[in-house]
This record gives sequence, structure tokens and C-alpha cells, in this order.
Amino acid sequence: MIIPAGFRELTEATGFTAANGPWFEKVEGNRVWRGFRPGPQHANALGIVHGGMLAAFIDAALGSVVYRAIDRRCVTLKLTLEYLTPARVGDWLEATGELLGHDEHVAQVRGRLYGPRHDVLAGLGDFALLRPGRPLRVRS
Amino acid sequence: MSSYEIPDDPPEGFKLVDFARGRPEPTFNTHVGNMYVKRGDKGTRDEFVLAIRVQQNMCNPAGGLHGGMMMTLADLVGTMGGGYIAGLRKFLPTVSMTFDFVAPARVGDWVEGRPELIRQTRTLLFTNIYLTVGEQKILRASSIAKISSGDGTGYTKTEV
Repeated sequence: MIIPAGFRELTEATGFTAANGPWFEKVEGNRVWRGFRPGPQHANALGIVHGGMLAAFIDAALGSVVYRAIDRRCVTLKLTLEYLTPARVGDWLEATGELLGHDEHVAQVRGRLYGPRHDVLAGLGDFALLRPGRPLRVRS
Repeated sequence: MSSYEIPDDPPEGFKLVDFARGRPEPTFNTHVGNMYVKRGDKGTRDEFVLAIRVQQNMCNPAGGLHGGMMMTLADLVGTMGGGYIAGLRKFLPTVSMTFDFVAPARVGDWVEGRPELIRQTRTLLFTNIYLTVGEQKILRASSIAKISSGDGTGYTKTEV
């Protein structure tokens, strides 16, 4: 698989993320881009990338945007998605976003998911911020 | 699949959804795990129910059902379920969705999704979706899907 320069695979993925990856990430300062190349296992009956897969991917990307911007781990409270155009299997897809604002408890993010030709998805999310320094609780 | 650690053990009335229909390669709907459907009497709360048993490979690092899996299920409830209730027998591409993550779900939970038809126009279908574990709502979603003209298969032939 050809991966654009600057992206590294998220090898620590588990569960849903591992089962539906591999996903990649590029970090520059406090900005972040996520990328993946969808295969047949990410497609719906029409052969285009499943809306659920795109939703999962941009959700994770927006969470990463929050983490890189203000160094706080977070979980999704609310996500609004506009499906602009279909995404093709085999295309390199990227997602990125920007922090609109935050207080101690909630951050607002705007983002987009795009392919080589056009925007695929626009997203707007509210993320609940976990306490600083608190690791994500892993259940055995 | 052999990686499944917990038997799905669907409650009575649920049938495994055959998304593959003989296609050789799995699509996303089969890849993410088993989904079950129940169809009850018209006009009832159970007219269309899509459900999953939460498995490890549907979860996030914290051991809860991954938001992406919730959204995948809700997307299908909105398009398949909303379309079924509206009597539309064709693929409905999603235009827009909003999700509120109300509560988590854990490995082993039986998660059910039900659509509520809000309005159908000539070209659009408006649906609300709730995912529940028992009586607890875990996700509230609203969806707008497009009703394509013709039989809906023209969408596949379009160069996109």
C-alpha cells in the first residue's frame, strides 16, 4: 500500500480500530491529519465506502485534533456529518480539522474528510474532555 | 467468525442479516460483525429492529462499544429500517446524520436500533434513530437519506 510521506501507521490500535484499519496519522506541531486507504471490506453494497466507516474515521480524526491542539484526551458527545460526495475504494482518504473553542469540560471541532478529487464529508463535533493526565481506562 | 468470543445468542424473533447475498468479498456490513433483524407488526415499536451482540472487535480501547460501530448501526437503521417502514425497496444513500452519544455499551450487551419515520418527501427521507441496551438509550441519531429516482440501482453505475 502506498502511503503519503509523513504518515505513520497507528500500530497501537485495538478492537474496532484494528479490525477496520490500518489507519495512519501525520502530525505537524499541534496540527494532525489522519489517513487510510479503503479496501473492499470498507465498502457498501454499491461498492463505495460505507457511511459508517467514514463516520468512524472522521470521529477518531476529530478526537485526535482535540488531543493535538490542547493535549487533552476526549470522548465524543455529539457529531454532525454531511455526506457530500461518495468515496471510492482504493483512493487515499484524509481527514483533518480545527478546534473552534473549548472550556474545561467540552471542546468544539470542525473537520472535513476528503479524497484526491473532492470533499467527501463535513463534520462538526462536541467532545467531552477527560481530566488532564488521566489515561484512558482500559478494561480487561 | 472464529475470533468471536461471545455467542451472539440472539433473542427469539431475530434473524441474521445476509448482507453478502453470495458475493465473494465481504463488504463493511459483514466485516464489522454479525447483525440481526426482527420485523414485527406494522405500526409497532418492533416494526423494524436491527441488533448486534457487542464483541471485542467492535470496541474502543476503554472496552466500550466503539462510536464508529454505533454510527454504523444507526446509519443502517436509518436507511434500511427507515426505507423498510416507508415501503421503499431500494438503496437510500445517506445525506446527513447527527449523533448524540448518550451512554456507553459493554462487551456482551445486546444493542437494538429502531427507526422512527419523521417525514417522507419525493426525494428525501427523514428518520430518528435510537440505539438501546434494554431500556437504556445509548445513542440518539437523526438521519436524512436521499430517495433516488428510478429503482435506485442507477447509483451504482454512476462514475463517482
